[in-house]
Amino acid sequence: MIVPFSHVFILAAAVFFIGLACVLARRNLIMILIGIEIMMNAAAIAFVGGALHWGRLDGQAFVLFILGVAATEVAVGLALVVAAHRVTGSVDPDRYNLLRR
Amino acid sequence: MISPLLKEFGFAATAITLGMPFASFVVITLFTRAHPRLSAGLSISAVSISMLSALSLLFRLWPLEKPLEYSTLWYGGHDFSLFFGFLLDPSSLLMFSLVAVICLLVQVYSLGYMEGDPGFSRYYAFQSLFAWAMLSLAVSTSLLQLYIFWEVVGLCSYLLIGFWYERFSATQAGKKAFVMTRLGDASFFVGVLLLLVHLGDLSIMELNDASTAARLSPGFLTLCVLLVFGGIIGKSAQFPLMTWLPDAMEGPTPVSALLHSATMVAAGVFLFVRLFPFFSRSETAMTVCLTVGTISMLMASTMAMVDRDIKKVWAYSTISQLGYMVMGLAAGSSFAGYFHLTTHALFKALLFLCSGVWIHYFETNDMYEIARKNGRSLKTPLVCTVLAAASLSGLPPLAGFFSKETILASLLDRPDPIWFAAALLGVFMTAYYAFRPVFIILFPRNLDPQDEEHRGGAPYLAMALPLLVLAGLTLGIGWFERSLESFLGMAPPGEHAWLTPVSVSVAFLGVFLTWFEFGRRTAPQMGFVERIRPLKTFFLRRWFLDDLYAFLLKQVVYRLLARSFTQNDQRVIDGGIEGIARLAVGSGRICSYIQSGLLRLNLMVMLLVVVLMGLYFFLL
Amino acid sequence: MNPTLSDFPFLSAIMLSCILGLVAILVIPGRQKGLIRWVSAFSSGLSLILGIFLFAAYDRTQGGLQFVEKIVWMKSLGIHYFNAVDGFNLPLLLLTGIVHFTGVLTMWELEERVKEFFALYFVLVTGVFGFFMSMDLFFLFVWYDVSLFPMYPLIVIWGSTRKEYGAMKLFLYLLAGSALILPAMIYLFVQSGGVGFDLFGMMQPGTFSPFQQKFAFLFLYLGFGILAGVWPFHTWSPSGHVAAPTSVSMLHAGVLMKLGAFGVLRVAIFLCPEGWQYWAPWMAVLATIGIVYGVLVGLTQTDLKYVVAYSSVSHMGIVGLGLATVTAQGLTGAVYQMFAHGIMTALLFSSVGYLHDKTDTKSIPELGGMSRIMPVASAYFIVGAFAGMGVPGFANFWAELTVILSAFKVYPVSGVAAVSALVISALFMLRVVQKTFYGEKNQRFAGLPDVSPALGFPRMVLIATLVLFGFFPSLMLDVIQPSVFAFMEGLPK
Repeated sequence: MIVPFSHVFILAAAVFFIGLACVLARRNLIMILIGIEIMMNAAAIAFVGGALHWGRLDGQAFVLFILGVAATEVAVGLALVVAAHRVTGSVDPDRYNLLRR
Repeated sequence: MISPLLKEFGFAATAITLGMPFASFVVITLFTRAHPRLSAGLSISAVSISMLSALSLLFRLWPLEKPLEYSTLWYGGHDFSLFFGFLLDPSSLLMFSLVAVICLLVQVYSLGYMEGDPGFSRYYAFQSLFAWAMLSLAVSTSLLQLYIFWEVVGLCSYLLIGFWYERFSATQAGKKAFVMTRLGDASFFVGVLLLLVHLGDLSIMELNDASTAARLSPGFLTLCVLLVFGGIIGKSAQFPLMTWLPDAMEGPTPVSALLHSATMVAAGVFLFVRLFPFFSRSETAMTVCLTVGTISMLMASTMAMVDRDIKKVWAYSTISQLGYMVMGLAAGSSFAGYFHLTTHALFKALLFLCSGVWIHYFETNDMYEIARKNGRSLKTPLVCTVLAAASLSGLPPLAGFFSKETILASLLDRPDPIWFAAALLGVFMTAYYAFRPVFIILFPRNLDPQDEEHRGGAPYLAMALPLLVLAGLTLGIGWFERSLESFLGMAPPGEHAWLTPVSVSVAFLGVFLTWFEFGRRTAPQMGFVERIRPLKTFFLRRWFLDDLYAFLLKQVVYRLLARSFTQNDQRVIDGGIEGIARLAVGSGRICSYIQSGLLRLNLMVMLLVVVLMGLYFFLL
Repeated sequence: MNPTLSDFPFLSAIMLSCILGLVAILVIPGRQKGLIRWVSAFSSGLSLILGIFLFAAYDRTQGGLQFVEKIVWMKSLGIHYFNAVDGFNLPLLLLTGIVHFTGVLTMWELEERVKEFFALYFVLVTGVFGFFMSMDLFFLFVWYDVSLFPMYPLIVIWGSTRKEYGAMKLFLYLLAGSALILPAMIYLFVQSGGVGFDLFGMMQPGTFSPFQQKFAFLFLYLGFGILAGVWPFHTWSPSGHVAAPTSVSMLHAGVLMKLGAFGVLRVAIFLCPEGWQYWAPWMAVLATIGIVYGVLVGLTQTDLKYVVAYSSVSHMGIVGLGLATVTAQGLTGAVYQMFAHGIMTALLFSSVGYLHDKTDTKSIPELGGMSRIMPVASAYFIVGAFAGMGVPGFANFWAELTVILSAFKVYPVSGVAAVSALVISALFMLRVVQKTFYGEKNQRFAGLPDVSPALGFPRMVLIATLVLFGFFPSLMLDVIQPSVFAFMEGLPK
């Protein structure tokens, strides 16, 4: 293994925190969605690294699942964003407070 | 022995008598409401058939040695059974015929009295319903069946008193009549239920049997008798539930004649007659009945002495005469009470129908007004009224004389003379108030000739014929005392040689006093009671009984009970529920502060929790 | 009994006629109001005819369960689709049939969202029929909730007079009742030791210990009692009745309150007879208070529907008193009273409904003199009022007589209170009749039409029923009594 195992995990952690920061800091729903995608990819990286390290294929299979889930999540998420935008005219989640009187 | 053929005849005749008015009621309500003449025709022909078959029953079965009973299980349970059917014995047969005759006469009379009324069909429907219910009451075989028809005649009374429902006073009077009699009926109902619980059967023949009473303890028997007597107090307008009857005069006059003097109010006394053997087993209860009868008789007489409304005078007089009947019965002679019931039904109906003619013609109830408008010009009602009033006062040789005599004799049979003394006082007052309207109308002051022309203009014949028939009966029935007595098989009261002269002279004294105050040429036409103002007010306001009831109703029932219960409903129960609801809403509101709706905040909190949990798991 | 006839699943046919009616209504486009009305009338008429047939065909000499339909539904939990008829539920099935049919006809003039109205209405009725005919605890509960939930939309959409408040209160109360019933049912199921939900399997003596019975009975009584309008849990009923549209009020006061009382009878009393005997005096106290309380509070009301609703509270008190006597007589009277009161109150509500539709008010002071304007419509109410006062000649008299008679044996004080409530109820009903219908012709409503013969027909059906069973009480008594006696025989002494 050329790249040490720990480096893969550091990369995954870094990507995850970048995604988290994106979700927490941005006020745009699309950006938040992208942040979530990034976090998922971080998890995928960790899975791939783990699979290589322990020599088992489960991790790779999980990555395929993650890709599938991510794709559907984006599809549904974007659709919701569009719907929410139609109703409220905004993509800022802080404005979505219809249930709160 | 009664032949089977006779038994079948009895059943068929009774069924026809009862079926015709009921059928006429159903047909009129459902189909012929829009055709007043047809309705009247139906009703009158139905009741004529009833009368014919009732009379044929009376004459075919006369003399009846053994009661005919037809009954079938109507409603039976685990430990009780209610039989319905017909019980034909002398006393029910007499009532049966009496009711049928008076119903027919009144319905014929109403053709004239009610002519042109918008509710003509409705009137005849109710009349038919009443005829059915009253006839059924007379031949009921069990106490519960009697109670059922007792309630139905009460319903008819309500409907007919409030017949002119656009008049507030009429509807008020109807309501009062129904509720006050219901008060008595409640007591009757409790009595019936207690008897049913303890005996399991309510057949009138069974109840009157000596062995039945032996199954009940004396105290319980007295209680039951008094409870049933409560019903009689309500229906026959005795003290203290008497004030509905004068108000009931708001109804059309023929209704007053039929229901509120001759038949329905007499149903109470009739019940007493039916259950006489049962009642007489409780000495205490009989004394209570005697007291109530006496008080009612005297009180109502005083009220009748001052009222100007001719119908109300006759209404008070009805209460007082019913009081006489109760006195006679309670004194121990069922014949005296029943005989007086019979004669009273005839002459009192006659009095009402006569005043109905005046009221119809002159459109006023005030006897002075009638006199002023020359009421004496109507000869038939005048003559009939004089006859009936004489009968009411107990002057020989009219019907009332004979029946009142038997009552007085039965009272004399009692050891204590106070009841007889009260009854004699009653005779005096009766003669006084009975002749007061007669003299006022006969000798009018300041006649108003203009008004003589003012007449309602109704078919006089339809109204006059019933008067003549009733007058004939009033004249004649008294002479049949002995044969009635033997038919009914009830023991007559003892003979008292000096009774007749005493009572007749007391009655004549009363008539003389009336003549002195109202009749002679220079008479002031103002009674001795009316001169004493407080006494007059006291009598006119019915001894303030009405005020007492109004007070009780308003303060106790409405103010105290109904109002406070409503408050409880709204404040306590609903308030408590709303309190719980408010608690739920309030706590929800508090919790809703946590849910800020800010997505990033939520995520931040989530992250914090995850981090803290990680710290907890990994470091500790 | 002809075997081929009794094999036909009449009970399921009743359900099916309602469900088919519902489906047909859902399929028909909402524009075709006339067709929807006719379909509803036809379907409800069919279930009424089936109900009458059952009532007539029920073998009175034999008694017991008849027309039994039993299919295993879920074997592992012991749930059966188990329908049958006995003396307890037969009168109520007939009642539901009559009120259902007359209710549909009463709403003939409805113009607003006809399709949705009748669809919800049929869901409600299906639940009620199912509840009455089911002999399986699981199905009983399911049907019970099916019949509750359409109430809310029916009141909120088509109601009047504080409808949101009334609907919400009603719904919350009834759900609270459900919340008491469900745990008690599960408790009993668990304690029964695997006999399943079959009611007759569970009611074998010895299934539950006395303590279990006392415990579960309390929950079941309170839960169903809320629906039966037991004092002091009655206040949902006046505000709910008032807010509901006419036929829903009819169904509600006429049938739904009976659902509660019948639940007490079928579930609480059947499964926990010892609990019943233990709690009976307290039931009698609540019932007696309810009887007197209802009429007294009714005396001060100024809204016609409130008046009728409070009279229902009082009359349901009579049912409760009958149940509380723990005698065969009392049970018979209670079932009879459920039937009689259902018909009577449906008549009153349907008459008030007509007045309300035409005059747009239910306030007694605003009305008055209506008899001159609409004599026939007024007569229907007045007849209903007489029936409500317990005048003989109507079925109510016999029911009250039977209950009060049994009360005299066990609780004489309650008996006397009930009789005196009859006096007050006369005052109370006649006051309303006088103020609403009598008096000078009311010029404000002078031109309004009287009820047409077509609309009068449902009211005539109700009156005819009252009079039929008022004149021939044994028609009903013969049906109820054998089952009651059989049940009371089986009780532990």
